[in-house]
Amino acid sequence: MMSFDTFVAVASGGLALGAIYALMAAGLAAVWTTLGIFNFAHGAFIALGAYIGWQIADAEAAGLGLAAGVVGAFVGLFVIGILFHLALVRPFERRPDIVTACVITTLAGAAICESAINLIWGPRSKQLGQLARGEVDLGVFRLPVSDLVLIAVVGATLGTLGWFLSRTRTGRAMRAVSQNREAAELMGLDVPRLYALAFGLSAAIAGLAGIFVGGLRFMTPTMGTDPLMKALIVVILGGIARFTSPIYAAILVGFVESFSNYYVGLYWTPAVLFAMMIVVLFLKPSGLFGHHQRTL
Amino acid sequence: MRYDPPFHKSSGLVPAVVAVAVLAVLPLIFDTSYVRHLLILAFVFGVVASSWDLSLGYGGLFNFAHVALFAVGIYTYAILAKTLGLNPWLAILAAGAVATAVAALVALPVLRLDGIYVILVTIAFSQLIYQIVISQSWVTGGTSGMVTLPALSIGGYRLTSDGRIGYYYVALALLLGNCAFLYMLVRSRWGRAIVALRDAKYAAIARGVPEARTRALTLAASGLFTGLAGGFYASYVRVASPDIFGLGSLTLVLSILLVGGVGTIWGPVCAAYLIILVSGAMADLGPWRDILIAVMIIAVMIFYPGGLWGVLQEIREALATRRAALRAGWRRRSGRTAREALTGAPETMIGTRHGLIAVSDTGGDGPAILAIHGNSACKEAFARQFEAFAASHRVVAFDLPGHGVSANADPEAAYNVTAYADVAEDVLSALRIERPVVLGWSLGGYVGLELTARAPEKFAGLCITGTSPLNIVPDDFARGYDASSHLVLAGKQYFTRAEQKAYAGSATAPYSADSAFLHANIGRTDGRTRLYMISRLGVVDWPRQMRMLRQGTLPFAILNGSDDPFLDHGYIAGLDYGNIWTGLPHDIADGKHAPFFNKPEEFNRAFAAFIAWAQGEGATKAEERRGRAAAAA
Repeated sequence: MMSFDTFVAVASGGLALGAIYALMAAGLAAVWTTLGIFNFAHGAFIALGAYIGWQIADAEAAGLGLAAGVVGAFVGLFVIGILFHLALVRPFERRPDIVTACVITTLAGAAICESAINLIWGPRSKQLGQLARGEVDLGVFRLPVSDLVLIAVVGATLGTLGWFLSRTRTGRAMRAVSQNREAAELMGLDVPRLYALAFGLSAAIAGLAGIFVGGLRFMTPTMGTDPLMKALIVVILGGIARFTSPIYAAILVGFVESFSNYYVGLYWTPAVLFAMMIVVLFLKPSGLFGHHQRTL
Repeated sequence: MRYDPPFHKSSGLVPAVVAVAVLAVLPLIFDTSYVRHLLILAFVFGVVASSWDLSLGYGGLFNFAHVALFAVGIYTYAILAKTLGLNPWLAILAAGAVATAVAALVALPVLRLDGIYVILVTIAFSQLIYQIVISQSWVTGGTSGMVTLPALSIGGYRLTSDGRIGYYYVALALLLGNCAFLYMLVRSRWGRAIVALRDAKYAAIARGVPEARTRALTLAASGLFTGLAGGFYASYVRVASPDIFGLGSLTLVLSILLVGGVGTIWGPVCAAYLIILVSGAMADLGPWRDILIAVMIIAVMIFYPGGLWGVLQEIREALATRRAALRAGWRRRSGRTAREALTGAPETMIGTRHGLIAVSDTGGDGPAILAIHGNSACKEAFARQFEAFAASHRVVAFDLPGHGVSANADPEAAYNVTAYADVAEDVLSALRIERPVVLGWSLGGYVGLELTARAPEKFAGLCITGTSPLNIVPDDFARGYDASSHLVLAGKQYFTRAEQKAYAGSATAPYSADSAFLHANIGRTDGRTRLYMISRLGVVDWPRQMRMLRQGTLPFAILNGSDDPFLDHGYIAGLDYGNIWTGLPHDIADGKHAPFFNKPEEFNRAFAAFIAWAQGEGATKAEERRGRAAAAA
């Protein structure tokens, strides 16, 4: 039996993890729901975000502070995302084999990103600073400030994204395109532009997630592979019925991972997660929170 | 309907023999061990990629755990041969068996899923295997893997000696075994079921193809040689590292598969050399190599979606078309006297909507006969009709586009029954022929039906031979014809010598001095005419033809060989004809598919009787029927 303090520590760690996963999965799901493809370069986007953030923020490089790094990673990845969409996805849009074609082109895109990072920043690992230091005392238990900041930032980002998708004209147009491309086109929406926008936004969110991952672990050119797999689990568990369903799943996965690390052991945790995912897919292919209707 | 010539009679034989011969002598020419090393890697990854092609290309199942199956083979070999000390050769066999079993396991969650979910669950499966491998370091060596695995040897001879030549030939044998296995599987009953499920899932299930079992078999079969290749690869590099689960090897194998061409088997085998040799040649470039290869892959995906195999097919088609055009041009110049001797009529070239068309026209004032030849034949097939009717009639025949000495034409526009009827119209108007009797043979019968159905009042009659009138295409094909390999050949683009002989022999007459020109003519025919004609049957208004026959607005005759190997005489007799000579289809005794050629006297007698009837009683009836049809409309 674990003590209450330990429980709170494990749970808050799980929540922080879940927040990062939510950010990663939201970006992945945005591309999947709108374009119907799985973007294997998403992990590389996370790595690229971390490195761009490091370049801007770190004292060894430009040294402009972490906030500037966050903005730089967001904007930089937005542009890179749009470029990737134009080069890797756009040429296949009307082809029947778009799913397989994009698997290979996005894999190739990931290889290009990783090699580019290797060329620009070298293979040696780096680390980004923490978002904040210290702990807050909430009377009964204490929490690290960085976790709270992380959760707050992620919450704000996802909240803004949700507001964008449901309240703004462009966001609603994106949802319309993801629900029915032909109908949206007939209504006069500029589908190729909205696709590019969705891809760019997805990459920008991945860049943001990269900053957080870079604060938690050492940065290497291939650092995106593991987050990509986690995001994959989250997206499958949650389903892509709604914009919110991967978020619930992300928090669930964060908790499972956190508690499984504690009880089952560090090495078995990934296996537990993948087994969980296979079971869910087997029983309910549309995901835990999924319905068959697909929308952002 | 099934048409499967054995491999040694297919057009793949010569390239395959050449390729095997080249690969067998290659290591004797390149004795540097680095080149041999690259070739061995190409063999191994060619096996892995072409096995993947079975599930991904033929089965349409995006099994992204395929590379994990390869890894399973590697680790099985490592554990059995090193930890348990099993004989390395047996360990390789066991690697194949274990990978097959794991592939069957992968199939379990995949049975219910479709599309992108198959990709996701198989990625998860491969990650699960990866996590198990790195977490069980007491068995697998964890993240550092296993090193100094036992190498292969035969009776004391180590395969690494003499510049790895032993490994080279074992790898070659593995590749050949893999190709033979896949080739036979794809052409077997199971292979057909796999492709049927991919192309028309519910139709296949309705016809009794067990979906779950077929999927499981597809995946298991794709695991067999992948596992063997994994075991062999482990014995060769003597390392088992978890890096093999990474995106790097997935990208490598997938790019081999896609650059080679999905659903082809041979494409990935060829692409393996290209990609391994190119990446080997760029080994000094470091990260730039990966970038260049990635860019190359993206470029191939954008500009050559069919992959390397598609490019090879395009080259082959261009060469074959060029050759057919050269032959036609050469014949136009040199063989004219011989052709004119056969028909007894001068040959002229006429410009039509679909290119230059060669026409034989006896001229004169008699009633006209327009003869239209069949698939892959030529106008001289009607030599005996020219001979018999030239005195009393104006006999005209022409070569269809892409046939005989007519020019090749745009396949999209010109190689279909409707376009052929356009050509016939153009020929008639260029020669100022009115109200001809049309004689159509086989494919030409459909052209004749299409031509006359457009305006029955403009024709004096229609006689078809070797043709089953169709209402619903393609369904009626199965009713009108005896399903045989001939029907497959009729739409096949490239003929081997044996196929050429079989097709000419059954469609016209067995090879003899008299029929030699018809046999030779198949070699001149643009192969695309067959492919496009069959695949564009849908452009024809078939019910209009049937309506014309039913209403009897045109004097009509069917003169089939009683011994025609393809037609279903019962089907033809059962159709409804409003105005047919003798009241029912007339059979020429002992006639084959071309009765006018192999039984010319009997055929010509019947045809002359039909023409006489068509000008008298048949014409009266047709006119009355046309009036009735017009009134009804």
